[in-house]
Amino acid sequence: MINPMTKKPNKNKVEQGTNEEAPAIHVAPSPHISDSVFTTRKMMVDVLIALLPLVFMSIYIFEFYAVKQLVICLASCLGAEALFVKIRHKSFTLTDFSAVVTAIILALSLPGTAPWYVGVIASVVAISIGKIIFGGLGMNIFNPAMVGRAFVMISFASVMGAAAYTDAGAVVDAITQATPMDAFKQTGVTGSISHLFWGLTNGSLGETSAIAALIGGLYLCIRRTASWEIPAGIFTAVFLIAGAADVSGAFSGHLVLHHLFGGALLFGAFFIATDPVTSPLTSKGKFIFGIGTGLFIMLFRLFSGYPEGVMFAVLLMNAVTPLINRWTIPRPLGEV
Amino acid sequence: MADQPTATERFIQGILPENPVYRQLLGLCPTLAVTNGMKPALTMAAAVAFVLICANIVTSLIRNLLKPHLRIVIFTLTIATFVTIADRFLAAYLYQMSKTLGPYIPLIIVNCLIICRCEVCASKQSVFTAASDGVGQALGFGLALLSIAAVREILGTGMFFGYRVLPSVWPDWVIMMLPPGAFLTLGLLLGAVNWIEIRRSRQSGGS
Amino acid sequence: MVTNESIIPPEPGGYQNNYLIQAWLVLLLAMVFGISLAGVQQKLGPMIEANKVNETLEKVPEVILGVKNAERLAKKGEALIITPRPIKIETAGQKKVYPVFEARYSDLSLAGWVTKASGRGYADKIELLLGFNPDATHLTGLFILEQKETPGLGNKIIEKKWRDQFVKKSTDRRLRVVKGGAKTPNDIDAITGATISSRSVVAIINKSAAELRERLALLAVTDKKDK
Repeated sequence: MINPMTKKPNKNKVEQGTNEEAPAIHVAPSPHISDSVFTTRKMMVDVLIALLPLVFMSIYIFEFYAVKQLVICLASCLGAEALFVKIRHKSFTLTDFSAVVTAIILALSLPGTAPWYVGVIASVVAISIGKIIFGGLGMNIFNPAMVGRAFVMISFASVMGAAAYTDAGAVVDAITQATPMDAFKQTGVTGSISHLFWGLTNGSLGETSAIAALIGGLYLCIRRTASWEIPAGIFTAVFLIAGAADVSGAFSGHLVLHHLFGGALLFGAFFIATDPVTSPLTSKGKFIFGIGTGLFIMLFRLFSGYPEGVMFAVLLMNAVTPLINRWTIPRPLGEV
Repeated sequence: MADQPTATERFIQGILPENPVYRQLLGLCPTLAVTNGMKPALTMAAAVAFVLICANIVTSLIRNLLKPHLRIVIFTLTIATFVTIADRFLAAYLYQMSKTLGPYIPLIIVNCLIICRCEVCASKQSVFTAASDGVGQALGFGLALLSIAAVREILGTGMFFGYRVLPSVWPDWVIMMLPPGAFLTLGLLLGAVNWIEIRRSRQSGGS
Repeated sequence: MVTNESIIPPEPGGYQNNYLIQAWLVLLLAMVFGISLAGVQQKLGPMIEANKVNETLEKVPEVILGVKNAERLAKKGEALIITPRPIKIETAGQKKVYPVFEARYSDLSLAGWVTKASGRGYADKIELLLGFNPDATHLTGLFILEQKETPGLGNKIIEKKWRDQFVKKSTDRRLRVVKGGAKTPNDIDAITGATISSRSVVAIINKSAAELRERLALLAVTDKKDK
């Protein structure tokens, strides 16, 4: 077994030259992306550090609800990873922290009000169907956390849909209000931008606080763990479309900020879409990926029955990632 | 003709070793479309069994008269006739079920399983062999449909044949009732069947 | 035939090259199958037609009287007399026919009207039966004949509890879908997580009620005069 901990485990064997059967002297054309120093584990630890502000904010806002989802998702993701790795007779991969990252992103994307089985099923699906079934980390086509979330979103729409986020009897203040995205969908009212910025609103656990996502996201981009091109692409698309909608409607400049700070946009742009395994390789490809994700997000937000579209947008763009790679990876001179 | 499988072999092969869905990957359209409940799956299996056995018998009866370049036309003609009979019959006696299955009964005409059996077996072998092949393949197809439907109906509604088998606190996995559930279940069961097959062949190879 | 043979030199096997002769089996089978299918249709066709009509007629008493009263009537051995009275509606140049059924008690007094109506749902077409009282001032019941809404969410429109909201709703004002509990008499509580399915049903009802209300009331008035 070759070491699966490189940043890009041989997804593109020819370009990277990690193929075991490769000739002794293998001259790979640029870009040389495979970087053995930059191990998966280092990356995952970086992501975990960047997620800390979001985790703190979610616990601050949602208190017990956030702790409950985090514990459930962590336990089930690690359990599922251990189980499936054992079934496949592979060495234990818990130490690369990828399952921990999946668990936290998944937990932060769930509503605090969701019952316990939602977290458990989403975690098991994320690890098994999202990752292991494709051959483990690095081979998966779709973002595992989003596969898990999509599964429970479609399965248990009554406890995952926009209406389920609100529980008037909850002890936590935030949960008693409608989510800003749903309020906008139903009544066309944009939320208070300062609330959206600090995160004093209802929503999925990790998506409410724009400032926490920005801090974590900037850390990731500066560390080069996440590629800045993807969030940049997403923001460009959202800015343009929300801006156009703003000009045509009467939202007095609020709409752009509402869409940028509201919902899972920042969280998705920095933490979900930037998953290196499921996004394109080149920086041009990454920008295209970001633009596409942003377009889909706005398409879902403005025209679909769902108030939020980050999850489906990322999954859709994951599906076309191989195509983007094909278009944007430069071919060496002389090759047909 | 000597090396053609016998009637018994044909019958047994159809059920598991050459299961239409799990081994030949044929007839996937109904496999995916009507397996969200045991009742529609059973009806579909019965309709396919009727068409398959009848088409096999008729094709085998006229096998010596077939011209190579016109055989497919004749297969299709035969199959279409029996499918129409099955469709009308369902509409007359099981009206609600025929509405539930909608276009999928007429679509049996293009189910490649049946044309495959006509081509592989019925157009070359005796009526008895063709009939037992039809029965075996139909059983195998029914088995596959019902196994997928069992998983989907139990997880999706907590019920089996419309009777509650899981406690009512069971959260229905709606995705299992929708098309993605069909693909997931088929893929996972296909994987399980392959896994069993590999283990069996390893064991027999090792001993 | 003669000219053909003079142009194309006869090949070994001669007549076998003629398409019609080659296809004799196909033609024969087509004939046999065609005749047998005609037989099947002859036998089963009327039953299928009856099934289609019965599906609607069976539900008419329930939609007009409610399930309990319909059962009570059936126990007494009485049945409503149901006659089809299709109503043509012309709106904005578009002609439309509502398959309306008129229901009378055994003493020939008018029990109510039932119409079949359909429209777009979230997933596919929704077809329903809508009951009116004799003067068409309010609804008496709703039954969903056909729908393919999302299982577990949208398909809750078939549940009696939700459908019963429509009973006794006045037809002179449009019904409105609201979330989290009906407040005014013309509010319909949406199904949680399936607002679009709920709205689709209400839209179909609003449209057919608005289009049929006056025509049905008129029919009821002339009916009384006839007496």
